[in-house]
Amino acid sequence: MTDGIGLAALLEHPDWAEVALLAGPRRTDPPVRGVLAVPDVLADPTGLAGQLLAVVLSAPRADWHLDALLRRADAGGAAAVLLPGITPLQPASRGLAERIGLPVLGAPDPLAAMLAATRLIHEPDRVVADLVTRTAATCADAGQGTDALIADLGKLWRRPVWLLDAAGQVVAGPESAGPGPGGPGPGDPESGGTESSGPGSSGHNGTGSGNAGRHNARSGGSGYGNAGPGSDDGLLERQLGARALGARLAAAVPPGVPAEVAAIIAAMGVAAESVGQRLAEQRLTVERDARLRMALLAEIAQSGGELSHGARRRAIDAGWQIEGWHVGIRIDVPGAVDPVAIRPEVLRAVEAAHLRAVVVEQGSGWGAWSTFEHAPTPAQLQRHASAARRAQWLLRSSLPTSMGVGRAHHGVPGLVRTLSEAGDAARLATGRSTSGHYVHVDRMGLGQMLLAWTRTDTFLPAARSLLEPLEGQPGELLLTLTAFLDAESSLTETAAVLGVHRNTVAARITRVRELLAVDLADPDERLALHLACRSVVFHQ
Amino acid sequence: MADYVAVSGERLGAADVDAFIVGLTLLGSGGGGEADAYRHLLSAALSEGPIELGDPAEFGDAPVVAIGMLGGTRMLTEKLPSGQEIPRALAALTRWTGVEPAALMPLEAAGLNGTLVAASAAQLGLPLLDADLMGRALPRMDQLSRAVSGGPITPFAMSEPTGQTLLIDAATPYAVEHIARSFVAHSGGWAGTASAPMPASEVPRDACLGSLGRALRLGRAHRELPGKPPPELVAAALGGELLGVGRAADISRQASTPFGRASITVLGGIAGRGPVLRLEAENEYLLVLRDGVPVASCPDLICVLDRRTATPIAVDSLRPGDDLVVLVLPGPPWWRASPERLRHVDPRAFGLGCDAVLLPAQAGDRAGTAPGVPA
Repeated sequence: MTDGIGLAALLEHPDWAEVALLAGPRRTDPPVRGVLAVPDVLADPTGLAGQLLAVVLSAPRADWHLDALLRRADAGGAAAVLLPGITPLQPASRGLAERIGLPVLGAPDPLAAMLAATRLIHEPDRVVADLVTRTAATCADAGQGTDALIADLGKLWRRPVWLLDAAGQVVAGPESAGPGPGGPGPGDPESGGTESSGPGSSGHNGTGSGNAGRHNARSGGSGYGNAGPGSDDGLLERQLGARALGARLAAAVPPGVPAEVAAIIAAMGVAAESVGQRLAEQRLTVERDARLRMALLAEIAQSGGELSHGARRRAIDAGWQIEGWHVGIRIDVPGAVDPVAIRPEVLRAVEAAHLRAVVVEQGSGWGAWSTFEHAPTPAQLQRHASAARRAQWLLRSSLPTSMGVGRAHHGVPGLVRTLSEAGDAARLATGRSTSGHYVHVDRMGLGQMLLAWTRTDTFLPAARSLLEPLEGQPGELLLTLTAFLDAESSLTETAAVLGVHRNTVAARITRVRELLAVDLADPDERLALHLACRSVVFHQ
Repeated sequence: MADYVAVSGERLGAADVDAFIVGLTLLGSGGGGEADAYRHLLSAALSEGPIELGDPAEFGDAPVVAIGMLGGTRMLTEKLPSGQEIPRALAALTRWTGVEPAALMPLEAAGLNGTLVAASAAQLGLPLLDADLMGRALPRMDQLSRAVSGGPITPFAMSEPTGQTLLIDAATPYAVEHIARSFVAHSGGWAGTASAPMPASEVPRDACLGSLGRALRLGRAHRELPGKPPPELVAAALGGELLGVGRAADISRQASTPFGRASITVLGGIAGRGPVLRLEAENEYLLVLRDGVPVASCPDLICVLDRRTATPIAVDSLRPGDDLVVLVLPGPPWWRASPERLRHVDPRAFGLGCDAVLLPAQAGDRAGTAPGVPA
């Protein structure tokens, strides 16, 4: 610790948040080995080498003695000068500071800044002990859940703190400045820690290799090299233990202040235990709840309409309304996705789409249903279908889901039936990219059977030649036409399916009309085109 | 060269007016008022023939009166002189003391007062001594060498442009300073003054000798400078030392002292990488810090010149962006002859909390121009 702390590192330390650089070079980073206090600018201190000269009472900026003091401080080898107040310097003093290369700082409370620096430089053990004690208290007192604890730790350590999974993805913690490559580099003078470029979760290569853009601020940090488990430049990490499956606690701490780094490493040891425990508890709760839900749904499905008293009781406990009219929804995902872990995301999408539905993990996906007290009107069903479609749209942005929606049926048997219909529809939706992998069972039926015929080898060449003019044209005309015809020639619906503006759809349809020279108002031509579209799209 | 010489016996002719004005401005050290204001009066007075800068030794015990103007020098351009201020003040003094002046000298051989006294002497037909009570520009009445020596400066008469006349007697120099300032503040803003007659035999002890001659020689040396003179050449020609060159980057004025304080930042050198000069000024330039170290102070003459023309620039005329040469010329030897004298005119006398930083003493200072100083 006798090497002192780099001035840049001190300026970045939260204890020095109020301290501002009033003048002097930003580039140099003199080590501060101690603090020397004088009352005012008339003082003539000695023994300045490597010291931070703190003027604690008064330093009128207009007084020429300030210039003389700066010069004496520089001649004595002082690392920097700290003045009371953050009033800017006069040009003469500023020019002098720049010229002699002496950083001049200002603080509203120079005494506090001075004491903080003294503590960090000379009493690192106290800093460590203090932080560890308070971390232990926070771990004991923090609110429910891992997120609350991580947030509390971030507040206590006054540095960004994250929970990372084994792949280095952010699980909990601030999103604006993640530890991935997009985050601001600690110690990087350009970013200043205030601006951030995108959430850290965008960094798919994790933290281990994600430090290419990070400024190495190691210069002032002696004793930082052996900082602890998984330490990286500016990013401290701590494994949570075997139970947590490679999850890590990470904190962005610039390496310049050894006392702070040591304190946070020690505090992480305390916190990791607590976080790991909470994670395990959380996982246990989630899995138990999922098991209960899945078992209950399975029991309902097998009941054949007559529910046992126990099952009825458990359904009420789970908040399920099993009487009334149900509309089932089935969401399928590829087998690699863990429905238990991803359920919160589904719940978020469902909520964002204003879809009131119970969501239960079921096989490789989720079964869900909405319940209506009375038989739903067509308008209600329409609204429900739109909400479901919106939820699917939201989910598709992060997951390769397919969604099927069943018809409304009554009672426990109805619930089983509508879920089964939804399941069939969802399977069909997997191959329906034009409908956004969304199929409503109302729109299925005999037509599906007829459609199968169009997918034969005899029909296909004719269909291809009919649609040939659309090939190579910009603007996905084939897909647009298919979606347009699927949507009963509704521009609005087509736009919603494709996720483009309705004017775009209108323009594309106009071009299709011109290219194909067809009249879409003619039922015969429209049918032929629709069949051709389905056939070609299916074989693509 | 252009140093103080005891008494030179110089003659001031019509052809010398421009040089004399520049020399007086240099002795003004940024203050002293615009010597130019009396240019025409002086030219007119000298058109009838040169006047001699007299040697006090030739006047025996004849009474000498120090005259000058006091108040806001800028007021002169608004409240024009009637031309009778000095004669009326002298008349009041004569009426009170019953002593007719045998010769005149300036209160202050710098700026406006230098030209005023020369013009007045020519106007009144009185001999002009090559001596004054300050040796340069100084702001206050208690900074008169006669007062510092313990001699009386009262009776003290003053008359302002509309004719209101005031005579102060039996007052200390500090009291005179306060009363005089109140008077000008409540009348015309400035007034012509005449202070107690002193025997010419006491002039060598209680006054700065050779100031007017020095102004004349400084002005002549300045006149010989080529166009766009190199700063080193200017310093050498005027017998001073170059402190720095550069542009006035900032002028911060504060009203914290009676005369108002200004801090001037001069940044310069090649590509702006030279030393940082900081000038502290009130009416005059008082202290120069180079990179935070005091390098020159009053009572030496800190002179700020336009870099291109070498024209002296007064404190209140200085503007940000001006391209400057900063020089220090040796101050009046009278003040540096003893610590007791220096105390009245060093930076501390202006509340600057700094010892005087002076050029090395010039050879012959003591022998020539500072008699009456205890060894």
